[in-house]
Amino acid sequence: MNFGNAIKYWRTMFTVAEMTIRHQLNDSFILFAVLFQPLIIAVLALYMLKDKGSEYAMFVVVGSGLTGLWSSLLFVSGNSINTERWSGTLEALVGVPTPFEVIVFGKNLASVVQSLLSMIASYSLAAVFFGYSLHIEQPLLFIGSLALSVFAFISFGLIIAPIFVMYRSVQQWQNAMEFPVYILAGFLFPIALLPGWTTPVSYVLPPYWAAIALHGTSTAAAPLGQVLSAWGMMLVFSVIDLMIASWLFKVMLYKVRVDATLDTE
Amino acid sequence: MNAIDVTNLRRVFRATIGVFKRSVKEVVAVEDISFAVEKGELFGLLGPNGAGKTTTVKMLATLLIPTRGTAAILGHDVVKHAGEVRKHIGFIFGGERGLYWRLSAEDNLRYFASLYGTDPEVSKKRIPYLLELVGLKGRGNERVEGYSRGMKQRLHVARTLLHDPEVLFLDEPTIGLDPVGAREFRQVILNLQSEKKTILLTTHYMFEADALCDRIAVIDKGVIVALDTPGGLKNHVSDLSVVEVETFGAPQDVVDGLRALPFVDALAVEDLDQRQMLRVQTTRGAEAVPDLMAALDGQRVGRVVVREPTLEDAYVRLVGGKV
Repeated sequence: MNFGNAIKYWRTMFTVAEMTIRHQLNDSFILFAVLFQPLIIAVLALYMLKDKGSEYAMFVVVGSGLTGLWSSLLFVSGNSINTERWSGTLEALVGVPTPFEVIVFGKNLASVVQSLLSMIASYSLAAVFFGYSLHIEQPLLFIGSLALSVFAFISFGLIIAPIFVMYRSVQQWQNAMEFPVYILAGFLFPIALLPGWTTPVSYVLPPYWAAIALHGTSTAAAPLGQVLSAWGMMLVFSVIDLMIASWLFKVMLYKVRVDATLDTE
Repeated sequence: MNAIDVTNLRRVFRATIGVFKRSVKEVVAVEDISFAVEKGELFGLLGPNGAGKTTTVKMLATLLIPTRGTAAILGHDVVKHAGEVRKHIGFIFGGERGLYWRLSAEDNLRYFASLYGTDPEVSKKRIPYLLELVGLKGRGNERVEGYSRGMKQRLHVARTLLHDPEVLFLDEPTIGLDPVGAREFRQVILNLQSEKKTILLTTHYMFEADALCDRIAVIDKGVIVALDTPGGLKNHVSDLSVVEVETFGAPQDVVDGLRALPFVDALAVEDLDQRQMLRVQTTRGAEAVPDLMAALDGQRVGRVVVREPTLEDAYVRLVGGKV
């Protein structure tokens, strides 16, 4: 890829993200999944923890934001290709010169950015209605963690989307994949509370490292080494995910053109 | 170099059938077709439903992988160099799908312009120009979901022209449009032809093909049964006359009886509510009328007209009178 193409694809990716957000603002299911559901989780958790200190509230705010990120990844990013197929736009997207991965990356960026709104909503909720005085312990490291988390989530989503297109039986497990990751990745409570045998499973989930980095920089002054190791793991997973995704997209795009499944009609 | 080169193209679809005892069923959509389209030519693909027209267009538009054979657009192979082909082509498939209904027309165009790699500054000027070209000036900021079918079709044309492609594939673009909308759409196609675009058009409407196309390939059961200019195709039936007989509720066995008469070359039936229009192709012209009336004895017969053959009659003869 030459520099000119890289600039062009970068620009295209942001246009895709912008148009996806405009389109999704009119979709009530997506608004529920990425905005209201995390808010409901935050209200329940904040109510349960109302007698605890504000560091718990911050944990809930960040945790509920992460639940929004994961739900968005699973339902919006995972379905991003299938949704285009159902609406008859997939042929038009595959038929353009822009690589399809760039388009899906832009769409995933949109859904992940949208879901970050749920974190802001939870923050406002905790501050206004529950009276917590919230502050982020390490703001700069938190922003870095957030950026890397977004990247890691999007990269992970790029693997899920082609798998959902090629193997419908996997997609049937979509709902069942939502809550176990909330728990295994330590979004709402530390994984130390879970049985020891689940720990290796948590370690191979990119959302777990995102939770470590975000919780560690928001609610506690986590040592720099711990934060950097979580960043490193997210970067490693993202690179691996992007490599796998690149191969999966080639396989998928060939398969759908052989099987004639670009359109549902 | 031709704009489109197709050599021995074949496409087979495989479907798995059965629940417990599964088997694979193969359907041959395109048997073996070859043709070439010159730059700037408006080339028509005509054929009945299921003849393989859309499958052919989708293979040329890089959306389906051929089972066998090759196709090239401006010298670029549609499988090996699909990315390069996509820079030079635009396509429309009939119907309303393929647009983002919750976005405005302008947003749809801005989105696809970006996907085609058009410079944003160029898009700013080109989008209003295209909206005006397809008759949507002043409606660009409305959501597509409020558009009529014809407006959506015209927006498809604008989308297709965003990157100023040299080759256009229009697959039954006027299907479902009202007569006025279809006429406006044909004018858009003529405008594109005047801009020296190479256009491959598939259509069911003979008069449309006759009026627009430089050459026409008639395709049936996945093979090309004739390829000529509209005038050349009409010459296929220059030895024939057409007797149009209006009947009221003629049963199938009577129609089959007419078809079996030795002087009947082909017969097409058009159902018109309570009536049928039987179009009999014959070399005997008006002399065939008494024998046809005898074969229709006992049936209620209306108007009878003998006329010269049209492109539609040539098409009927080429696809075996099954229209």
